[in-house]
Amino acid sequence: MSGWAWLVAGAERLGGASAAAEATDKHGKQLWVQGFPAGARPHPAAVRVDRRVFDPRGEAARVSLVLLEEQRCPLFDDPAVSQALRDVLSGPAVDAVSTLTRDPVHCAGGVTIVRDGRDLRDDPFRRLGAQRVLAVGPGVFGRSPLTVAPVTQRYAGQPWPADRFDGAA
Amino acid sequence: MALAISAAETFPDLELPDHDGIVRTLSELAAGDPIVLHTARGYWCPKEQTFARRVLVPLQDEAEVAYARFVTLSTDPPETSRAFRAGLGARWPFLCDTEHAYVEALGLRETTDTVHKIYAPYAFVLRPDLVVQHTWIGYWFWGRPTAEELRQELRAATRSLRPDWDLP
Repeated sequence: MSGWAWLVAGAERLGGASAAAEATDKHGKQLWVQGFPAGARPHPAAVRVDRRVFDPRGEAARVSLVLLEEQRCPLFDDPAVSQALRDVLSGPAVDAVSTLTRDPVHCAGGVTIVRDGRDLRDDPFRRLGAQRVLAVGPGVFGRSPLTVAPVTQRYAGQPWPADRFDGAA
Repeated sequence: MALAISAAETFPDLELPDHDGIVRTLSELAAGDPIVLHTARGYWCPKEQTFARRVLVPLQDEAEVAYARFVTLSTDPPETSRAFRAGLGARWPFLCDTEHAYVEALGLRETTDTVHKIYAPYAFVLRPDLVVQHTWIGYWFWGRPTAEELRQELRAATRSLRPDWDLP
């Protein structure tokens, strides 16, 4: 069973989402955040994410989204990405977190989900690129504590922190 | 001390809060990888501080690329474990048996401390199905595993788990 899903964040609401909610950024701009099961890419802007971040029954949340433009994505094994993962592992617990990927080689950013008042400028993924802090409505993000510690590697190219190889129990 | 779990037996799937107060199970934390499970007297013990600083914390830099998990288990409460973990620079979970749910049942209680119910210092390498591969009794500090001993046991565990060990 694959550990990844698709994430699409954009102005357009797409059909076929397994989880979806409206979101607002700090400038008041609205967008849709949607999750799709692994399979055909639902939208050209879709990125892969650990599927456990999604929950169609999930409550509203504050989200730090670092979604890098394709030409600005570092290698997934770039030391900046590795250190960001270490900082996520050693930092305070969040409700859910995942790296984002478009291909097997690069890191397209990260998404971090919280439901308290912490300052999301502390998001370690922020060192990779521009951050958007979103107020996301219910119906898309759940709670998924990290299980992978201290591993920072990907399992068969799945977005970290997917925590096992396909087919593992 | 009569250890209730021997090599080749299955370690119980503990269900305890971690250093953030989130309830975890050992099987969840293992997923499909081998685990180094370390039972600790408590943050206050200088032997635990030395073992963590000199062996586990440096070794986590290898475990992070080697698909191996670490778990520390003690009776320290979550807030104490969280502070200890942060002070060490540890990046693995600390399970908190504050209610002493397992310490006696597992036969892991340090009986020379007649005041507190604390864990005696053991280290286990567990396979992902929680079968005990190796045990070290660290009541005397030199009984604890060295980093190299842990590497060798993790190598053996990983070799047996990965069908493509000898290159696909």
